[in-house]
Amino acid sequence: MLLLTPILLAPLAAALLCLLVPSRRVMAALGVLAFATTLGLGIVLLNEVLAHGVVKEWSEFLSADALSAWMVLLISVVSLATSLYAGRYFQRDMAAGVVTPGRMREFFVLTPLFGSGMFLVVLANNLGVMWAAVEGTALSSVLLVALYNRRNSLEAAWKYVIMGSLGLALALLGTVFVYAAACKSNPDSLPSFNWSYLMSVARQLDPYQLKLAFVFALVGYGTKAGFAPMHTWLPDAHSEAPSPTSAMLSGVSLKIALYALLRFHILTTASLHGRADVGFSCHLLMGFGLFSMLLAPPFILVQKNLKRMLAYSSLEHVGLICVGVALNSPLTIFGALLHMGYHALTKPVLFFAAGNIHQTFHSLEFRIIGPGVGKVLPVTVMLMGLAALAAVGLPPFGLFFSELIIISGGLTAHQTTVSVIVLVALLVSFCGILQQLTRILLGARKPGDHPTDARRTDGVPAMALLLGSLLLFSVWLPAPLLELMRQAAAIIGGTP
Amino acid sequence: MNPPVPPEIGSHVIPLMAALMLVVQMLLIAQRMLLTSIRLFAIQSLLLAGIAAVVAYYYNASHVYVVAVLTFIGKVVFLPWLLNRLVHRIQIHQETDPLLNAPSSMLVCGALTLLGYSVTRPFTSLEKLGSNTLAIALALLLTGFFLMINRRKALTQVLALLTVENGVMLAAVALTTYGMPLVVELGIFFDVLVAVMVLGILVYRIRENFASMDTGKLDQLKG
Repeated sequence: MLLLTPILLAPLAAALLCLLVPSRRVMAALGVLAFATTLGLGIVLLNEVLAHGVVKEWSEFLSADALSAWMVLLISVVSLATSLYAGRYFQRDMAAGVVTPGRMREFFVLTPLFGSGMFLVVLANNLGVMWAAVEGTALSSVLLVALYNRRNSLEAAWKYVIMGSLGLALALLGTVFVYAAACKSNPDSLPSFNWSYLMSVARQLDPYQLKLAFVFALVGYGTKAGFAPMHTWLPDAHSEAPSPTSAMLSGVSLKIALYALLRFHILTTASLHGRADVGFSCHLLMGFGLFSMLLAPPFILVQKNLKRMLAYSSLEHVGLICVGVALNSPLTIFGALLHMGYHALTKPVLFFAAGNIHQTFHSLEFRIIGPGVGKVLPVTVMLMGLAALAAVGLPPFGLFFSELIIISGGLTAHQTTVSVIVLVALLVSFCGILQQLTRILLGARKPGDHPTDARRTDGVPAMALLLGSLLLFSVWLPAPLLELMRQAAAIIGGTP
Repeated sequence: MNPPVPPEIGSHVIPLMAALMLVVQMLLIAQRMLLTSIRLFAIQSLLLAGIAAVVAYYYNASHVYVVAVLTFIGKVVFLPWLLNRLVHRIQIHQETDPLLNAPSSMLVCGALTLLGYSVTRPFTSLEKLGSNTLAIALALLLTGFFLMINRRKALTQVLALLTVENGVMLAAVALTTYGMPLVVELGIFFDVLVAVMVLGILVYRIRENFASMDTGKLDQLKG
């Protein structure tokens, strides 16, 4: 039975149908249906991967190992919650006259396309196809960022597309270098560009060329993943995009770029196996990860815009995931994967809540939203507070455990400096986020300042779904999921 | 299968055409009229398509012909047509003063080309198409980046992006035996087409909202 193909085709079909159907409700329902389908298929895929190892289709054109299956689950969950949230969100935007029906249709067509592109990134076996798919996700999300057609959103979209495309041009050069290495090791024929083939001949590939390829891929995909100092597009795009899009960008899109980079990391490390410079890609990842982690907290502390603050927090989490991988012990890689999952469940909730606040107060500036949002939007603020506690890493939420795993893994591996830097960065952003949020969420409202169109239950199903699963998976990780992540960590860690 | 040993002429023609691509790039850097810039980009892409055709002919690699045809249809015919139409629709024909004037831009690009040659020196042994092609590809990439930084009009930045892409494709021809696998080439081809369409939409909207397409005016978002 075909399994990977339907995962790609379900969102694609929803996108095509959304071009035709007239009503907003049907479009929103189609999105929910498509990603609920992929989530179901993702769970089937999880079992298949655990039972049979790598799943392949179309003569190995598509292939899914444990790492891909894990990413499929993340994409599905975040996209599902986004589709759930988007229906009501755009109903309000339409009522307020912020978007035209044409622009709204654009959203419901492009979002499944965006999802479909991300599925292709993680399911493609061919590294070139993977590159094309990453570029596809960038292009489909650019118009989403520019959806409101305001000056600021156009500026954000322009920066995003120019930075992203230049970065991806470098990533393409890196991809070309990998293929050149494959050609050189096998000069008489047209070698396959499949990941599985490259891994099988990794030891024969020219290590110098692979190192060069990794550097280009790091800068290229790193730009898309939001590593500092190539992150300048990230806060702009996250703050100016419609909130459902911000949730997808932050929740999964950054991690998809990181996934693409990890494939290069795995290949480079495999090719350098047994040499003195085997840690080459780890060192580079560590550098960029730590720099991102250190750069984000000051910007969180001085931030005046809610969604920009959340974007910088995403930057920090991506940095932490990167550090976890770069510490390169089975424990920290497992922690990094776990962190990816928990972050994907947490950050969209914050962006959905920010969307509700934006629609009620027509601004994201702290001084305009101003103290006492809790009096106006009690449910939103309660859920947002919980998600914020989770995001800064307080127990009982999972991010606490994954951060603890990464830090203690670093200590066990005698990387004390790294662990200390991570701890300090997390602590500063902990203070920053909580201080900023308590200032606007709690307290009494200024007299005579009560927005009238506050709606209490908007977006609650989507937020409750994510927070509920976050709580559930924080206290209880099902055995198959745990096994999947263990295998995925083994793929990254290079252990057989 | 062993590739037929290419006649001497193949390994001379390709670096020559690649060098012409670099010359066109320099003209593009000095050029301020948008329509002429688009034409220069079309000529550069034509040379790239020509290189692919020469590779296909001398190495008997029929799938590279497909690449040549795709490059021709996409980058020599369709994209210049699309960009031309965009220029006529937004009614801006000329680039404003670049950050660096033409003579100093030339000096910078000369330096970037030298840089391209010096960093690719370790690679000269593994190239089949003469030792210059990869260096030129890298020079195209670097000068494309420079063009992007130096100009303010959104449309020129799109052209700069496209020349960077041309540089990467030239590197692909220079480094690999028969270019990339066909499915990858197809993916890149469609991505570039869609990218330019998306960029065109954005340029048009920026022009509508800002009454200009100076990217210098896109400076509201900070910190």
